[in-house]
Amino acid sequence: MFSAFFLPAESGHRFCIHHPGAPEGARGGIVYAHPFCEEMNKSRRMAALQSRRLAALGYSVLQIDLFGCGDSSGDFADARWEIWKRDLQLALDWLKRRVRGPLALWGLRLGATLAADVARDPGLGLEQLVLWQPVASGEQFLTQFLRLRLAAEMLAEGTARSGVSDLRDSLRNGASLEIAGYDLHPKLASELDSLRLAELVPAVKRVHCLEVSATETAQLSPASERALQGWRSKGLEVRAASVTGEAFWSTIEIAECEALFAATEKSLDGAS
Amino acid sequence: MLLDDVKKVVGSALQIGSRMQQMKADAPLLGAVPELDSIAVVNLITALEEHFGIAVADDEIGASTFETLDSLTKFIEGKLSR
Repeated sequence: MFSAFFLPAESGHRFCIHHPGAPEGARGGIVYAHPFCEEMNKSRRMAALQSRRLAALGYSVLQIDLFGCGDSSGDFADARWEIWKRDLQLALDWLKRRVRGPLALWGLRLGATLAADVARDPGLGLEQLVLWQPVASGEQFLTQFLRLRLAAEMLAEGTARSGVSDLRDSLRNGASLEIAGYDLHPKLASELDSLRLAELVPAVKRVHCLEVSATETAQLSPASERALQGWRSKGLEVRAASVTGEAFWSTIEIAECEALFAATEKSLDGAS
Repeated sequence: MLLDDVKKVVGSALQIGSRMQQMKADAPLLGAVPELDSIAVVNLITALEEHFGIAVADDEIGASTFETLDSLTKFIEGKLSR
């Protein structure tokens, strides 16, 4: 059982799906932050399945489409990092009023990085932060996003006309770029470019970082590992695990990763 | 063999592992493998970079590199020998 509704917010409304969690979200509330652009579409199934499973375990889960994304108000071209942060805060507020137990934030890829940034505010009283394959370097993420345009040019014309550095120059000069059907505003691009997961030290009791790898490995990617070491050195409790599966946020066919569900539930359970 | 390694990475990145195993080195990739859209190309480049520990420059993202399995393997070979 879940309900879909529009939550009134700045510049319109946000599309939300609430999985109430039986009975009445007895184990607390979790807000989910989706990833960026096409990764959001690819991961819808995994996010929905995990939300339902968590609700069945007694968590009350709220999925929110951020401004300019999914079925929420606004054009992607007008989206900014700060608006997205306020959207997550709004979702947390909404859930807080309906759930008695502890609150957690959960995010995938850039949504995980956004969740970490939001969780820096100790006033939110968040207990746990769950990161699925977080984006550790915004600069690298932006480069990969800009490469989509090069790849599209190559497919259409046999060769990429531009380079990532040219595209970065255009953004710096204040031009918007159309990448894979999304209008990227130079302001959002520069916000993404400056993101460093290591610097976004969350004010929570516990962080769970879960990554998916095609090959069996017990270790996180070196980039995530470095960021989390920094958090640990500041006294934060960080638990990390890697599971085997496909990169479902970017695969061509919609993929599921059962091992990630199990690891997520175990993490949340073991902590409470 | 490097070709087999490249086949594995391509097959896994594009989720066409079984079809990839039967592909010959001179079989065309670009324009012939329907899964190869812009997102798949970027996924593939990232997977190749991670697997082989190489960096692909912007001007190397061209049809000549991705034309066939053979051209892609030669490209990786060149990267690794540097």
